Amino acid sequence: MNNITLGRFIPLNSFVHKLDPRTKIVAMMILLVAIFIPVGFIGYGIIGVFLLIALILSKLSFSFVWKSFKPSLFMLVFLLIINMFLIKTGDIWLTIGTFNLYSGAVIQTIYIVLRLLLMIVITTMLTATTKPLDLTMGLEDLLSPLAKLNVPTHDIAMMISLALRFIPTLLEEAQRILKAQASRGVDMESGSFKEKIQAILSLIVPLFVSSFQKADDLADAMEARGYVVGAERVRYKQLKFTFSDFITLFSVTGILAALILIKVL
Amino acid sequence: MSIHFEKVDHIYSPDTVFEFKALEDVSLDISIGRITAIIGATGSGKTTLVQHLNGLLLPSKGFLKVNDFTIKENEKPKNIKELRKQVGLVFQFAEYQLFEETLIKDVAFGPKNFGVEEKEAEMIAANALVTAGIDPKDFNKSPLELSGGQKRRVAIAGILAMAPSILVLDEPTAGLDPQGAKAMMELFSMLNREKGITVLIVTHNMEHVLDYCDEVVVLESGKVIMHTDKKQFFKNDQYMEKASIDPPIIISFKKMCQKQGVDFDTDVLTIDKLVDEIIKKRGKR
Ligand SMILES: Nc1ncnc2c1ncn2[C@@H]1O[C@H](COP(=O)(O)OP(=O)(O)O)[C@@H](O)[C@H]1O
Ligand SMILES: [Mg+2]
Repeated sequence: MNNITLGRFIPLNSFVHKLDPRTKIVAMMILLVAIFIPVGFIGYGIIGVFLLIALILSKLSFSFVWKSFKPSLFMLVFLLIINMFLIKTGDIWLTIGTFNLYSGAVIQTIYIVLRLLLMIVITTMLTATTKPLDLTMGLEDLLSPLAKLNVPTHDIAMMISLALRFIPTLLEEAQRILKAQASRGVDMESGSFKEKIQAILSLIVPLFVSSFQKADDLADAMEARGYVVGAERVRYKQLKFTFSDFITLFSVTGILAALILIKVL
Repeated sequence: MSIHFEKVDHIYSPDTVFEFKALEDVSLDISIGRITAIIGATGSGKTTLVQHLNGLLLPSKGFLKVNDFTIKENEKPKNIKELRKQVGLVFQFAEYQLFEETLIKDVAFGPKNFGVEEKEAEMIAANALVTAGIDPKDFNKSPLELSGGQKRRVAIAGILAMAPSILVLDEPTAGLDPQGAKAMMELFSMLNREKGITVLIVTHNMEHVLDYCDEVVVLESGKVIMHTDKKQFFKNDQYMEKASIDPPIIISFKKMCQKQGVDFDTDVLTIDKLVDEIIKKRGKR
């Protein structure tokens, strides 16, 4: 439970950490679009090199990114097996009995693996280098044009930031309850189906009860400090757009443009 | 029967930026059949220490022996379920772990996990609830209908129902009113006296240590800086200061008297004895 790295902020002092959250959000979206431009291995290569540079600049360790990736390994193996049976394009590379392995299946799977890997690196880079509060502030700012259309952008941003804020709390609570029930002989790993259901219930029920209690307390605490839904608000911390942000956005836009060019030509 | 820590280290999230050494070189022998208090400032590693006793946490280095079990470095002991049956661990704010519709079912959950039949489990549960001081009228109530203190009693009953020979309590009286806290301590004292259960209590309350415990272990930044008899412990208050804890009123009183040149014996640790001593001293004058 403590080894969950996906979505966790890592407090370091690096070039990437200091970028404006808006820059990082926009850069992430541009890169995610770029991943889905089908230009084959060249495209993934270009994005990969860019991310490698960004990763080094962010001072995050490779093992950290690898840990974020590990939970999806199982899914990948699953995909590979499905692809092997479903995709029948390209040359036959291998024949076992009546089963033929096509080159298309292998290449498709490698594409999916690469895409997933890149997506995870991109999102991990964003969440690991940006404080949850900064993230929502950036999001709120980017959404602000929608406020003119009466979309409650502030409320949306507040909800997201509260949700993000409570992920670690919930994980901690879940871990605590798991340990407490383990002390009463609950075994999450083995046991019959009925016992497993009981074990899960013994975790979920207390987790829900305490979540509702926390939500209630939080609402009271916010109101006690004068929070009014929909009221006009000002900010203490202002976002600043600097030269590094310019360079970052320039590079990712360049990558997107390059990939589109390769595709069209 | 023994509880023995041998050079135990515990490191949280090793090899990450969150790496934190919560226990360092802890060697400790807890006396069987007595009540031992574990004290120390918040974050000194008390919870980490006690969670080793039933294998919830494993040593990062060193090992510990609990009864016939050896808990080695990063290795789950065999038959960990039996260990958890013998070492009952009550968490801080244990009331948050209740989940069944009725009290009796919740308390019967533990024994059932250890393979006791439903009917028998409920009988054991009823006994445990009575021992913990819950009125039989309430057995079929939902845990949500109870007060915080009652809920905690039910949670403790949930552990007692497993009939542990070692009972470990992590700040069992935190957040209770003084009367409720006292009744809770009486319960542990009774379990120790009448059933011979070895009790370990993590606490910040020095009055409770003075009134109910036999031995004291002091933790500071993950290290055991003292382990001694209660009387010895209250002789000098520098350790209480280190653990940022106020001494019990009677100790403060004796210290103030000492400053005025009136000395009391170190054995004088209850109000009754103190009153006797004062009367004796007056008679002499
Ligand atoms: N799951 C965890 N991950 C990382 N650090 C932890 C974890 N649990 C506790 N700690 C740290 O270990 C230290 C000791 O914690 P704990 O044993 O809970 O102390 P106590 O119970 O004495 O207040 C604290 O500094 C705490 O922040
Ligand atoms: Mg604690």
